[in-house]
Amino acid sequence: MNIGTRKILDRSFTAVGIGSIVVMALALMIVVVPIVYNGIGAVFFTGTVEHRKMLHAEFKRGDSQDLSSEVASSNRYRAKVYDMLTGFEADLETMAPEKKAEYQAKYSQVRTALQALLGPLPGDPEPMLTRFKYGQTRWEKAEEKLHDLLYESKWDNSNPNVMSKEYFVSRAIGFEGTSLARLFPYIKDNLENMLLPEFTFYWGFITDSSVDSHFFGGIWPEIQGTFFLAIGAMLFAFPLGVVAAVYFTEYAKPGFLNSMLRSANSTLAGVPSIVFGMFGLAFFINTMKVSESKSVIAGALTLAIMILPTIIRAAEEAILAVPKTYREASLSLGSTKWNTIATVILPAALPGILTGGVISLGRAAGETAPIIFTAAVSVGSAIGLADVFSSPTPALSWNIYNLASEHEAATQIRHVQYGMVLALVTIVLLLNLSAIVLRARISKKLKG
Amino acid sequence: MIKKLLLLGFFFSCAVTGTANAEGKALVLDGSTTVGPVAKSFATYFTKKYGVRVMVSESGSGNGAKSLINGSCTIAAMSRAMKDAEIAAARKKGVNPVAHVVALDGLAMVVHPGNPVRSLSKAQISSIYRGAITNWKEVGGVNSRIVVIQRESNSGTQESFKELVIGKGVQMTGNAETQSSNGSVKSRVSTTLSAIGFLGLGFVDSSVRVIAVNGVLPSVKTVKDGTYPVSRPLYFYTNGQPAGAVKQFIDLSKTVEGKGMISELGFVNR
Amino acid sequence: MAEESVGERNRSNAFVVSARKRALQKVAKKAGEGMLFSVAFFVAVIVLFIFYFVARDAIPFFQIRGFSEFFTSSNWYPADEPGEFGALAIIYGSLMVTLGSAMIAVPMGVAAAICLSDILPFSIRQYAKPVIEMLAAIPSVAFGFFALVVLAPLMQDHGGPMLMWGWWILVSPFLLLSVIVISDLLTANIKDEKRRQQRHWMLLIVLGLSSIFLLFKVGSVLNGIQILTGTNALNVSIILSFMALPTIVSVSEDALQAVGRDIREGSYALGATRAETIIKTILPAASSGILAAVILGIMRALGETMVVWMASGNSSHIPEPWFNYLEAIRTLTATIAGDMGEADQVTGSARFHVLFAMGLLLLIISFISNLVSERIVVRQRKILSGQ
Repeated sequence: MNIGTRKILDRSFTAVGIGSIVVMALALMIVVVPIVYNGIGAVFFTGTVEHRKMLHAEFKRGDSQDLSSEVASSNRYRAKVYDMLTGFEADLETMAPEKKAEYQAKYSQVRTALQALLGPLPGDPEPMLTRFKYGQTRWEKAEEKLHDLLYESKWDNSNPNVMSKEYFVSRAIGFEGTSLARLFPYIKDNLENMLLPEFTFYWGFITDSSVDSHFFGGIWPEIQGTFFLAIGAMLFAFPLGVVAAVYFTEYAKPGFLNSMLRSANSTLAGVPSIVFGMFGLAFFINTMKVSESKSVIAGALTLAIMILPTIIRAAEEAILAVPKTYREASLSLGSTKWNTIATVILPAALPGILTGGVISLGRAAGETAPIIFTAAVSVGSAIGLADVFSSPTPALSWNIYNLASEHEAATQIRHVQYGMVLALVTIVLLLNLSAIVLRARISKKLKG
Repeated sequence: MIKKLLLLGFFFSCAVTGTANAEGKALVLDGSTTVGPVAKSFATYFTKKYGVRVMVSESGSGNGAKSLINGSCTIAAMSRAMKDAEIAAARKKGVNPVAHVVALDGLAMVVHPGNPVRSLSKAQISSIYRGAITNWKEVGGVNSRIVVIQRESNSGTQESFKELVIGKGVQMTGNAETQSSNGSVKSRVSTTLSAIGFLGLGFVDSSVRVIAVNGVLPSVKTVKDGTYPVSRPLYFYTNGQPAGAVKQFIDLSKTVEGKGMISELGFVNR
Repeated sequence: MAEESVGERNRSNAFVVSARKRALQKVAKKAGEGMLFSVAFFVAVIVLFIFYFVARDAIPFFQIRGFSEFFTSSNWYPADEPGEFGALAIIYGSLMVTLGSAMIAVPMGVAAAICLSDILPFSIRQYAKPVIEMLAAIPSVAFGFFALVVLAPLMQDHGGPMLMWGWWILVSPFLLLSVIVISDLLTANIKDEKRRQQRHWMLLIVLGLSSIFLLFKVGSVLNGIQILTGTNALNVSIILSFMALPTIVSVSEDALQAVGRDIREGSYALGATRAETIIKTILPAASSGILAAVILGIMRALGETMVVWMASGNSSHIPEPWFNYLEAIRTLTATIAGDMGEADQVTGSARFHVLFAMGLLLLIISFISNLVSERIVVRQRKILSGQ
């Protein structure tokens, strides 16, 4: 090969390497950015008066005087809409039967769209479900619903060889010549006055429990469940892991038994997470009966087994990183091996061990498969500490799955799902970040 | 720094225990995703009214039955009747399952709103799900492969569908995509032009188009009077005759409020 | 007086205690060591327990239905009476997404590892490593959510153009590079400098044009593809490759770092470029470590549950044609997660035990590959340390 080609090859080789790192960073961005962007929308958004009504009714939050003046001003604009509706209903009665039937069908669609936008109309029976008690609580959703009200979606299937295409027909045209025709431009112009959108910082998303299966409210029970499970897993796994690491680094003698134990450890690290779930079900619940059915404790134990090898490895590395001189100094002062480990080596290795622990905590918080059969339920209130032995809990990871693919209105509550994903990712990444910072400080300290 | 961490941990545990409130024994519901919305709404209402905690997990009718048999739930929500084998297993364990019909449900056949097909006969649907018909052209639609969507095998909806439309012992096509819940079937169908799927009537909204079966569209009226050919009852199963809070919970379906919730969710009151 | 006697007694007691203490200490030491050992042994016990409990419920399946159906039939009708439990299509689905993700993650991961260990200056590496760790830390359900909610609709609506751009961006640099290299290699033997130059340019132009033609032809074919379902094997493979990448990068970087400086310097001294040094000397020396990294990365993809459950479509059939990554598939892990609900352990049906059979299969595969990768790492360490 001539030298030019070799140089090109060399450069392009470098480019490929850098390119793949860039692709990885991009992959991280592509995944994280939509999650962060949409997830923040669960907490910061343009909320309508309906949102404030809901907060006041469900959580007793907000100033009732301000709210009632807001409601009064929004009702002034709404009253006109309701007047138009009653006026049109009166007109309907006077129409010829076939015409009446034609308009009736269209009119019921308008009513449904209005209910979705503004909440129950006067004369409607009081809805039982909270989701129907309020109009749109979020402004961007209200705009979508406004579109649904103003335009009817139709499907063009003139071409028999391809699937139909959607197109929109203005509803106002359908009501041309009736008293209702005025309704559409009125609502379009006055929607802001009716819903009073304003920037909302809904911190309750983190601290409230959900209302009406996550249509409204927050995700506190899930966050709490995640912490219970992760911390519970740590309580079991951390002491065990550190003790095992001390054995491996200080006491184990090379030999068949030791290599077998190490193989066992790495095998445990490689077991697929769903198999841990099966094992948790078969062992902790069906055989040991730690609880009658799914419970926090069964989930935490299953997760503990899963993170045990990670903790052992991290603790081993941290202990091995303690300079030999520490140990020798301590031993030469006449302290016992046991004493040396407890007072010199473990304290010196503690930051490193904690780093491993924090990372495992993140892993325990994020895993889903092991808790499907052992701990997770889709709807439940926050549980108390006393209930961890008997009660299952909602948890972020499982509820993300549940809301995204099992909920009856998965597409309507995307913001809640994104909010949950963001909460989980934030918890996990913060834990990891603190581990990275911790490690950086240790390496600085060790360098002197 | 370690102190800081410990302090943080301490605050944290305080924050967590601060919210601890144990009150009475909770009701645990397990089972069908179809009955899920009813169960969840009842649960919210019940907790609010009586202050009893209710946990709902939606893991499929089969799982609901299993949980009831194992004693791990108080009420099993099921979208099909318990099978003989399940009842026998329950008896063996000293559990006596009692059925309570909560509501009626029509199994709606749904397609993407852009699909020009408006009606299918039961036989056509059966052929589609057996794999005998694979293109929309064969049933009067456009030239496009049919994406067949079914439910997980532990789904009561799936079993009802098989029983009502295809017939027992007939195999469905292996090409059918499997979704784990009504909600995911709906979102798959609403985003896939050439898909067909089936849903509990309560899950239907404008994102999908309901097609008529044998010329009848599912609605409250047609389900109630039985003219719609694909409908079934939804059950709550309890161990023995219910008493106390369990009875209160189950009887919700007979109260005005309960009936209101059921009809608002799109199901049909008995 | 009284106080003094108390002091005396204490002193004498202290002496006695310290004598006893020594004996006690010895016992305590033994007991402590024993306790440490038993905790370490606990890990092994857990592994045995996992094998035992999974196998205990898996074996009845093979007793009821035998082996051949499970491995050779692709009829998966667990709910029928009587059911059919052919897991071939499901095993195939698992292999398919694993292979797909490996095809994306292995070249990228190894290239990134080389870059991290040999090319980038230390200051950049400091920032690159945390990025990789973050990628590893993101919970699988978040990836699954992304695959289901963002990637799947995107693929369905813009599948063709996405494939086309992916093809162009990924393949065109390599194709052009190989054009340069091939034309160089083909003309290397011509002695006459002028003729060689002429030939070289001619070849460059001909090959270049034909490769551009190929790029556009394949690109336009891909552009025309309509992806019927966004939840398919390709979607899952891409996401799984993101998840396998961090493992592959960090383990193979360790392997590359383990190759000594002397080997690198020797190669440079002989006049090799950096690329030649890496490909011809470092990679072969680190190959077994990289192989171990690949195995570990693949295992991560094979054992992943949430992403495949949410975004693979869960359709138990072998795609037609067999390499069609644009069809929905179903994997072992997703089947366990989704079907466990029906597990009527009370009657001990084949339906329940077949899931444990799948779990056992996963467990055995992961066990073997772990052993293999461990052996490989140990052997490499031995070779490198010159034993």
